[in-house]
Amino acid sequence: MSSNRQIDTDGTDSQLTTAGESEETVEDAWSDYQYPGEAKLSVEDLDVYYGDERAIKRVTMDIPEESVTALIGPSGCGKSTFLRSLNRMNDRISSARVEGSVEFDGEDIYGGHTNLVELRKRVGMVFQAPNPFPKSIKDNISYGPRKHGDLDTSLLSRLIGRDDRESEMALVERCLKQAALWDEVKDRLDDNALGLSGGQQQRLCIARCLAVDPDVILMDEPASALDPIATAKIEDLIEQLAEEYTVVVVTHNMQQAARISDQTAVFLTGGELVEYDRTEKIFEDPESQRVDDYITGKFG
Amino acid sequence: MSNAADTELRAGYTTLGRQVALPVLGLAFLTFLATWVTTFQWIDESRTVLGLTVLTVFGVALLLMAAGVAGIGVLSRFGYIDTTPSPTAGLPVGIVFGTLWAAIGMAVSFQYLGNTVLSWGPVALVMGAVGLLTATLPREDIGSTVPSALLLAVLGGLIVAGVFDASWVYEAEWTGAIFPGSELIPLLVSGATLLGAWSAGKAKEGFGAQGREAGAFYIIATVVFSMLSVLALLIWFIVKNGLDTFLTGASLTGGHLNVPFTGLSFPFVEVPFVTNVTGSLFVETPGVMPAVVGTLWLVFGAVLFAVPLGVGAAVFLTEYAEQGRFTQVVEVATNGLWSTPSIVFGLFGLAFLVPRISGGNSIFVGQLVLGFMLLPLVLITSRESIKSVPDEYRDASAALGVSKWQTIRSVVIPAAMPGTITGVILGVGRIAGETAPLLLVFGGAPYPSASPNVVGQFSFSTEPPFITNQALLEPASALPYQLYSTITAGVFPRPEIYSNQEFGWGTALVLLLVVLGLYAIGVASRLYFRRKLHYE
Repeated sequence: MSSNRQIDTDGTDSQLTTAGESEETVEDAWSDYQYPGEAKLSVEDLDVYYGDERAIKRVTMDIPEESVTALIGPSGCGKSTFLRSLNRMNDRISSARVEGSVEFDGEDIYGGHTNLVELRKRVGMVFQAPNPFPKSIKDNISYGPRKHGDLDTSLLSRLIGRDDRESEMALVERCLKQAALWDEVKDRLDDNALGLSGGQQQRLCIARCLAVDPDVILMDEPASALDPIATAKIEDLIEQLAEEYTVVVVTHNMQQAARISDQTAVFLTGGELVEYDRTEKIFEDPESQRVDDYITGKFG
Repeated sequence: MSNAADTELRAGYTTLGRQVALPVLGLAFLTFLATWVTTFQWIDESRTVLGLTVLTVFGVALLLMAAGVAGIGVLSRFGYIDTTPSPTAGLPVGIVFGTLWAAIGMAVSFQYLGNTVLSWGPVALVMGAVGLLTATLPREDIGSTVPSALLLAVLGGLIVAGVFDASWVYEAEWTGAIFPGSELIPLLVSGATLLGAWSAGKAKEGFGAQGREAGAFYIIATVVFSMLSVLALLIWFIVKNGLDTFLTGASLTGGHLNVPFTGLSFPFVEVPFVTNVTGSLFVETPGVMPAVVGTLWLVFGAVLFAVPLGVGAAVFLTEYAEQGRFTQVVEVATNGLWSTPSIVFGLFGLAFLVPRISGGNSIFVGQLVLGFMLLPLVLITSRESIKSVPDEYRDASAALGVSKWQTIRSVVIPAAMPGTITGVILGVGRIAGETAPLLLVFGGAPYPSASPNVVGQFSFSTEPPFITNQALLEPASALPYQLYSTITAGVFPRPEIYSNQEFGWGTALVLLLVVLGLYAIGVASRLYFRRKLHYE
């Protein structure tokens, strides 16, 4: 499973490193973030390479449970790559290579023999563009549990009268309600999901993710393809979800990060984590001058 | 004078130009149709219309078109019609007209000056230069109307003046061939009408970018129309020749529809040519039933063999195999296999499969050989359609913790199904009409007296191979094979009923219907899967 992973420490190929000065900032700014509660995900010395290119540089951070963590930064700074490394979606890109460790509830997910199916069930993901399956709304929700064998609605089970159609309906209703979509679609659960609007599709994708009962939900710019009203709905939803789930959101909309997140990590060019702290602190009084410049719009 | 052009945006839209160009276009279209009708001798060229022979009418039409086209061009050039011409009609137009004029110069000078390069070469060159320059030097409104109007006028004038008539013959010394006027003139006129339509189309939209757009549209529309006509002609020809045979002894209520298990019987359509056997002496009307059944079994077996293998291989190559040298080689190999001549497949079947499976021609080997032929196409089209399933679906599924195989089964393959079925439709169209390999591995008696009874011949045993089917191991007849053997035999066994040609045309019609029927099934199932995917 971990054939892509290389154990050796930092090589000499960090062509993206700008100067020694930035390394210093990395060391200083984020090390002392104090948060309430336990760490759900704890990342240590994470490097991600695409071929020879280093997309994430030595990132170390803890993600506290039942909170919203925002990852912000300019385009190409590696925040999506970082997010995808939290449930090993980067494994699907053949040129990607990961070094370092990510502990999920104390277990290193890059530590060999990781069950990817189980990991991704517990660390779910919502993508930038809404990507429902070309199936009915109901089937989109029950797809995950069905494939995991938690719901049996096959023809055979129907014939012997032991199917789970009732629990399927309960699950569909619960997930759609959690995703604040139930009222809009309850009368057309058998319609094709591709017929929904973009915002509805994205909330359906969130509901689909909730259906497999994850602990962590990773969201990769979930509202960037949506209009302001749909965006507001998604933001409300994220805040609600944080009561039960650990949410990590990538966004390039700083106002959005300020509105919804408890803590914010700022990535800057070259894949380095420059500062990580309470959101208010980041937006009001950042330690790093570069972060201040980025937030006030002087660059990026 | 123009009554539009009140603003810059509406410049070029002139009523007078349209009023002239539209009738010219209509005339060109009608003349184009008429020339083809004449070429195929549905109208004899010596028939008279309003006292003029058909050819003279063509000439008059050309002259009218020439006058209309040239009129618009000249009026536009001197500002009586408001248009938006470019400075020149452009080099491509010039090259086309140059070539046309050069060809005319060559053809004429060959005839009257002799066949040495020195005699026709200069004439062709000069004419070509004239064509090129008249098209490119003047402004576009002249350059794209006057040269074609000149051509139309010359041709039309010669026809009306009686220089070209049905009895005129062009004996081209350079080929030794003889072109009778009755054939050549309609063809020339049809080409000329295309030119006229192009010019009129440009003129109608006031030249310039819009005019070029319109000119291109009329040319392309004509080409599409001609293509459809060729198709329609082909089908009409088969139907016309085969319908008599097909309907021999047919009646609307003469047949019986027996409802199974109930003993009920209703009057039904009767088409003995389709429902009767071929070779028996006891049938009043010999039919092609055994061949129809044979063809259906062949197609069924081939599809059953090729589709699972092809789709499976496509899944492996697209989803599992590392994209690299290996998949490239497989891709080239499958493309090559699809273009391999069918007789080669037949020879392979004859040399390899026949001795090992049935020891002689058989349905089963025919199914396998046609399956081999179908396999590459199913593989190619499934691969393409699997590749075109968006990666977002795979990502979404993986992010839910669903394994790759489950993703392929429940997301990728359903989304790729319509494309795969398109491939199967195309392939079935080809193999259902395949004759060459069947001659080698499949065909039996050319006039069978019974249909292959495949369903009834399954027998089961407790010893390997557990299932045997004698009917599958025997030769049979299929429609294309039947057609081939009937036509090459030169005589039908019961000449008092059909000549071999009549029987052949009837078989061809049935083959056409069977292929169209399979096509309809394919299209319907593709529609079903597409619906399921998008409008659930």
